[in-house]
Amino acid sequence: MKVSFFETARYVASKPLPSEWPVPSGSYDPEAGARAYRGMIERLELVEAIGFDWVSVSEHHYSPRILTPSPIVSAAFLAAHLKKIKIALLGPIVPQSNPVRVAEEIAMLDTMAQGRLIVGLLRGTSNESLTYDLNPAEARERTDEGMELVLKAWTEPQPFGWQGRHYRYRTISIWPRPLQQPYPPTFALGTSRESCEFAARHHLGCGVSYGSFESVGKATRYYRERCAHYGWEPSPDQIVYRANMLLADTDGEAQEALGKLPNQAPFTMRPGVREAMSTLDSRNIAGEARAPIVSGALPTTFVGSPDTVVEQVRQCRDVVGAGVLDLSLHPPGSASLDPLLRALELFGKKVLPRIRDI
Amino acid sequence: MANAAFREGHVDADGFRIRYMQAGAGPPLVHLHGAGGLRLTPAHDLLARQFRVIAFEMPGFGDSPVNTRTETMPEMASTIVRAIDKLGLDSFDLMGTSFGGKAALWVALQATGRVPALVLEAPAAIRQEGAAPPSGTPEEIARRLYAHPERVSAPPIDPAARAKAQPLVQRLLGPHRDADLESRLPDLSTPTLVLFGTLDGVIAPAMGRIYKDLMPNCHLVFVYDAAHAISTDRPEAFTEVVTDFLERHEAFVISRAETVIHP
Repeated sequence: MKVSFFETARYVASKPLPSEWPVPSGSYDPEAGARAYRGMIERLELVEAIGFDWVSVSEHHYSPRILTPSPIVSAAFLAAHLKKIKIALLGPIVPQSNPVRVAEEIAMLDTMAQGRLIVGLLRGTSNESLTYDLNPAEARERTDEGMELVLKAWTEPQPFGWQGRHYRYRTISIWPRPLQQPYPPTFALGTSRESCEFAARHHLGCGVSYGSFESVGKATRYYRERCAHYGWEPSPDQIVYRANMLLADTDGEAQEALGKLPNQAPFTMRPGVREAMSTLDSRNIAGEARAPIVSGALPTTFVGSPDTVVEQVRQCRDVVGAGVLDLSLHPPGSASLDPLLRALELFGKKVLPRIRDI
Repeated sequence: MANAAFREGHVDADGFRIRYMQAGAGPPLVHLHGAGGLRLTPAHDLLARQFRVIAFEMPGFGDSPVNTRTETMPEMASTIVRAIDKLGLDSFDLMGTSFGGKAALWVALQATGRVPALVLEAPAAIRQEGAAPPSGTPEEIARRLYAHPERVSAPPIDPAARAKAQPLVQRLLGPHRDADLESRLPDLSTPTLVLFGTLDGVIAPAMGRIYKDLMPNCHLVFVYDAAHAISTDRPEAFTEVVTDFLERHEAFVISRAETVIHP
């Protein structure tokens, strides 16, 4: 099993914050922000030393919970400071972006990072449709088309035009191209039928997140079926599972910590917006409808002592088929970083050595 | 509403009575069909809003008698050039679809100076090794041709007419790489637009770059979510880029899209 550390740039607020998303920009504290980014590098040096294979970054907007609106900037920052670990850009929210720009920036990053880049392309969480005024009903289609265009921009050697449904370009010919040829290891992220199908058709990896093993296992099973349909079999490294982990010395301590976690997302949209979003933003797991996550807290699927967690990782491998775990070792947005550091040390000493051969 | 304005005509050339469908006013645009024969699509209607569209039925296709005389694509092209002459067209834009793309290249080579611009829709002049034209039942053929079979409005090509033309198609299509044709393409300076659907299952879209390698004024555009029959799968997208190219040639790379939301 490979492991990835999900880095969210822990912003520790100096005063209580409003709980509505978008969080007012005026409540941002520049000094706290500077501390968050400095702390990121210090923490990741430890993560690299412990032996994590990847560090991952994501795109989220208008909130301190994950302080990385541009994951490409985060990835460049990390690639410059860390020498060995792979940088997993999971990833640009494709429907929000200019796909040609995404292709160019990833090619730059992969080259600057000397071929250490991993890429995930995705549709993004429901609230992100509000960020740049996009119609959530179009997000799925824009994602599929944008991903296809990114792949084409990386691989087509002659200048070409793109006559799309949502994107139109008359001439595309990117420089540089990725160092890893034809392109870095790339995942389509998401449990939807469309995302799994896209990944299978283009021989990409599949990334799932947060759901129970059974629920994300439906998606990875569907993905493997579709890969077989297209005549190939993904390796375990091509299935990544992002999840929360609450690790403690004993099961009791871990369960106690779990009980203290809020059951509501730290920053939520107004009720009327949430409700409207639920009707506009349709989501599915391998074709089975599921509600968009608009206000609930994300579940924690690994909870317990090192022994318990090792067993859960084994189950995860069996049920989900994941060969890479992308872990958040403490809920992002927490006020204190000490529990995260303690969990990280414990993970390095008592869990990681025992899950390598799973 | 489909193809309401198109009227049938006939013209005699090289001893063939050649049928064509014509609609619209404006600069003439000659279209040469694919291996299945002439079949009007919504794109013909859209193009006829700005062009005088003349869609020929090459001799041997459709209801015309079996054509055992035409041996090669250059011969077919020269018959078409004569038919165009008979219609009194001095200068004409030219569009070829798949099999008709190869015919159109030969017409452009023979009528140098008379073709302001050339459009090749999923052209079959250069094919990947082992590429085979769609065959089988109408349903099997449709699965090969379309990403969106639900958008097909015209009735399917009569299987008997299709079967009758197949020996001609095989004869004229030639090898997957045609050294004679390819040796002439570097001298064909006609502004050329090559279009491939991203889902083309008949001819690999990667063939597009070879035209660009070979031809001095060639532009390649991928039409997303279209298979081999681009003009049926995405007629509006197809017509927009074709019209823009025929109007502005290589300057079509400059966007004219407006982004002002309110004045």
